[in-house]
Amino acid sequence: MRALLGFIFLITAWSAAAQQGKAVYDKSCALCHGAGVAGAPKFGNNADWAPRVARGAAALYTSALNGTPKGMPPRGGNAELKDADVKAAVDYMMAAAAASPKPAAAAAKPPAPATEKPASVEKPAAAAAAAATTSVAAAQPAAQVNAFNRLMRPASRQNPPPSEDGIHDPKNDGTHQLQAPRSAYENLPRANAGNRVNWVAALEEKRIAPRWDRADPKAAGLVLDFNIVREVKGSMPDVVYPHKQHTEWLDCSNCHPAIFIPQKGANQISMAAILLGEKCGVCHGKVAFPVSECRLCHSKKKDLAGSAAATGARP
Amino acid sequence: MRNRKPGSEALRAAACAAICAALLALPAGAPRAEYGDVVINNHSDKAGMRPVVFPHWFHRIRFSCKACHADLGFQFRAGGNDINMVKIIDGQFCGACHNGEIAWAIENCNLCHSAPPGTPTQVHESTLQRMGK
Repeated sequence: MRALLGFIFLITAWSAAAQQGKAVYDKSCALCHGAGVAGAPKFGNNADWAPRVARGAAALYTSALNGTPKGMPPRGGNAELKDADVKAAVDYMMAAAAASPKPAAAAAKPPAPATEKPASVEKPAAAAAAAATTSVAAAQPAAQVNAFNRLMRPASRQNPPPSEDGIHDPKNDGTHQLQAPRSAYENLPRANAGNRVNWVAALEEKRIAPRWDRADPKAAGLVLDFNIVREVKGSMPDVVYPHKQHTEWLDCSNCHPAIFIPQKGANQISMAAILLGEKCGVCHGKVAFPVSECRLCHSKKKDLAGSAAATGARP
Repeated sequence: MRNRKPGSEALRAAACAAICAALLALPAGAPRAEYGDVVINNHSDKAGMRPVVFPHWFHRIRFSCKACHADLGFQFRAGGNDINMVKIIDGQFCGACHNGEIAWAIENCNLCHSAPPGTPTQVHESTLQRMGK
């Protein structure tokens, strides 16, 4: 049994070889603390952590080691962790929270879940050792697997500042001088995808005034108000392509003739091509709203009686 | 493979737990920068500089697409423009604005050269990137 425990320890604690905070956090804590599952103070969220840190590190260590009635399992559910591991992970999380900016309003916390029982209670046949190892998976998953919505990025993790976004180097001094997108988006209309900004509406409502000419703030382009309807196969609504919203941003030469031949029926467009970054996909799916927003393009309801003939007639 | 020794069940469970934890933890550490942020690493790594991050969102608040993609000849493809510092100093590409008149000048190296070394050229969060290219 003891040998087995040791063996299992080798497997489960592979990433904790360094016995340091980040490794422990990634392995045993991030499941819940990464997304703030079931009231867990979220990693890097100052509002969640500040009141806890205020009660002192010792209290946090105790909660982490012994668990809390609010749902924190002892040692994060990983019985193999040594005291020092748990404390290192707590230190790591406290440091991350302290380094993060304080949000204007703390998010309301969901009610704490029912206290979770140790995994060994409902393990009838399996060896106690097995129960102990699976406790990483068993102590947290009740909250984790049914988390809402576990595959989506929570709003609090959208539009992070450059130092936390993963493609800026936090060790670079310039990174910290860059504007944080969230501050720029504050007064812009929201959207459900991309930057979470409705850029077309932002322009229409004059929340932004992008220069048409880089040196002349007064220059204005020629807006062409001309819709093109493309009938599409299948049940999807037909596509309405508005020149207006495009010519407010773009020059004719950006699309014509290299991407779209300006002639009716001359362009073969498919979702496959768009997904691969061609045709509309040159911008949509890279910087203009992404292809997940089907109905922004597929917006014209089909005349069902006529649609069969129409699709049949298309080349 | 199966039931080779009494501990194999527990071992498998442990391995499963470890893999699940790794998979679930991945998104937490994965980059989550702005949609449309472009990383350009045509020459940077080789030149010992951090790769460049171009924030589309920041620029589109201030300029129409046309200002760069028509007037300055920026191709619609990450890495598709052969930009180098000489061209920028001569007023091409970024240098058309980043000249100390329209926008801050080139002595602020680290404002552009700000990605972790080795970051590949990419359009962050693009459909292609999400599909695994």
